[in-house]
Amino acid sequence: MAGTQEGASHGGGGLRVRNPQDGAAGLFLLAVAAFALWQGADLPLGTLRSMGAGMLPTSLAVLVGLFGFILVVLAFLEDGPALERWNLRGPIFILGSVIVFALLIRTAGLAIAGPVAMLVSCFASDEVRWKEAVIFSVCMTAFCILLFKVMLSLPIPVFTLF
Amino acid sequence: MDLFANLALGFSTVLKLVDVNVPLLGVMPLPVNILLCFIGCLIGTLIGVLPGVGPIATIAILLPITFGLDPTGALIMLAGIYYGAQYGGSTTAILVNIPGEATSVVTTLDGHQMAKQGRAGVALGIAALGSFFAGCVATLVIAALGLPLTKLALLFGPAEYFSLMVMGLVFAVVLARGSVVKALAMIVLGLLLSTVGTDLESGQERLTMGLQDLSDGVDFAVLAMGLFGFAEILRNIESPETRDVVRGSIGRLLPSMADLKQSFWPVVRGTGLGAILGILPGNGAVLGPFASYTLEKKIAKDPRRFGRGAIEGVAGPESANNAGAQTAFIPLLTLGIPPNAVMALMVGAMTIHGIIPGPQVMTKNPNLFWGMVVSMWIGNLMLLIINLPLVGLWVKLLKVPYRLMFPAILIFCCIGIYSINNNPSDVLFTAFFGLIGYVLIKFSFEPAPLLLGFVLGKLMEEKLRQALILSRGSFSTFIERPVSAGLLVVAAIMLVLALLPSIQKSRDEVFTE
Repeated sequence: MAGTQEGASHGGGGLRVRNPQDGAAGLFLLAVAAFALWQGADLPLGTLRSMGAGMLPTSLAVLVGLFGFILVVLAFLEDGPALERWNLRGPIFILGSVIVFALLIRTAGLAIAGPVAMLVSCFASDEVRWKEAVIFSVCMTAFCILLFKVMLSLPIPVFTLF
Repeated sequence: MDLFANLALGFSTVLKLVDVNVPLLGVMPLPVNILLCFIGCLIGTLIGVLPGVGPIATIAILLPITFGLDPTGALIMLAGIYYGAQYGGSTTAILVNIPGEATSVVTTLDGHQMAKQGRAGVALGIAALGSFFAGCVATLVIAALGLPLTKLALLFGPAEYFSLMVMGLVFAVVLARGSVVKALAMIVLGLLLSTVGTDLESGQERLTMGLQDLSDGVDFAVLAMGLFGFAEILRNIESPETRDVVRGSIGRLLPSMADLKQSFWPVVRGTGLGAILGILPGNGAVLGPFASYTLEKKIAKDPRRFGRGAIEGVAGPESANNAGAQTAFIPLLTLGIPPNAVMALMVGAMTIHGIIPGPQVMTKNPNLFWGMVVSMWIGNLMLLIINLPLVGLWVKLLKVPYRLMFPAILIFCCIGIYSINNNPSDVLFTAFFGLIGYVLIKFSFEPAPLLLGFVLGKLMEEKLRQALILSRGSFSTFIERPVSAGLLVVAAIMLVLALLPSIQKSRDEVFTE
């Protein structure tokens, strides 16, 4: 994401970016559109009478790009808010904990994946109290096993290490 | 009287006894549907009370759990969560000055002031009574409009359906918060996402990047949970809220005669406004309370009382949000078109159970349709009981700090997503969409239009292709057919109006007030 931010603040040469947030948003859309066009390049377009698999993805990607372009242009014309601060700590630990859960659920089971994922997520917050967090995550996992596995009998692996 | 016969069918569905194998107690007949309705309402109230957990994430989590239920029961429970959340949201708005749900934002204005003046109980009471009234009226509206709209929908061809959905998406843009261009961009992005996966006609894989897991397309629950569930947690952690829980007693719950008199017409007007706006696609249910508050303030003899604990400012909007939450089911049940993100999840729930949403629901599954309608009325009655005497319990819940809540939400989300297909890669995709959701928030894009575009995308593509095959590749079919042309004209007018600078300004006012 750093790339789009930089692009917004430095782009434009003599022109001044008056709405950095919309400018960056536009560049984001342009990037998405370019990616979709590249991915869909091999799909046949077909004709209107019998559309090919690529007709809609390609035209929608062009539309997304068009909106991105409009936002970039508008960013030079209208005043708007500055870019919000990007705090990477939240995304890294919250989404990291989700990834940890995904990796552990089959290999170790919920009994391990649950507490580990919850404790990883705790790094995202300043207010965490570790003793409390450890006890809470273990109890919560036990509750989840009881609720989802025992009561609702969903096929979740609980413990697969041994 | 058809209506009464239908409602009777609904009651018999809801009250039906089913033999259930209860652990330890053996097989016994239980009114399963009504129990599910109660569980739905209870969970709905719970998540409504807790800020930061919305009905979208909750329904997405519970979706896999409903696999084992019969479809009617499953939908009754999921619906209960949605309108139950409207009741619960007001409790938090009044007692803590934080909207428990997006639809109770305006309730904080006067509701919390009333609480500070020691009238918290009355505010809660009038909110619940107003919501109950609105719920009853909305149930009747659904019952009355269901049949004619279904008949209308059966006359629609692919071209009309396509135009109807275009109109729906345009409404979603117009009624969304913030920039129109950005909302349009989100809809198109949602449509683009919906094309990911195997093309139904040619069997070719589209935009899957060669990933096996994407060949069935992006799972709706995965997208919703990432964009709403995880992104919401990220937002909450970054800007911790201060909770200003009202101390001291809640006071008496039942409003006095004078209060009731003062609130009667605001409740009626709020119900009307909410019911109408709720039917509209887009954010109708969210807009209702705003519209009601603005109206009450405009016609009040002394508008200065608003913001200082005016009971009308609680009664009107609270009725409006509940009415809107229920009438939002009308487009889904009759036309098969979800008007907002929660209804989109309902589509997911219905398809999982093999029911294709649309006009045929009422003819093929009358028990389901009328059972749901009647369950809403019964659910509203239950909510009155859940909310008023149990309010002390909900207040205690509010004291749970967010540092404990977010890991709990997270683990529920992970288990819910994993259980959809028992596939860990779904969980990874959810994390990816959580990141996307966070990026969108930072660029002040609204995720709701994206989700709506995504849900309607597949159906729109199908109808577009059918219409173009029928017309031999000519787009004029959309304009030559009168109904389709009419719908497109309405959409065009709405869009132009929304883009006009003067309207844009007043639109901003509605949302900021």
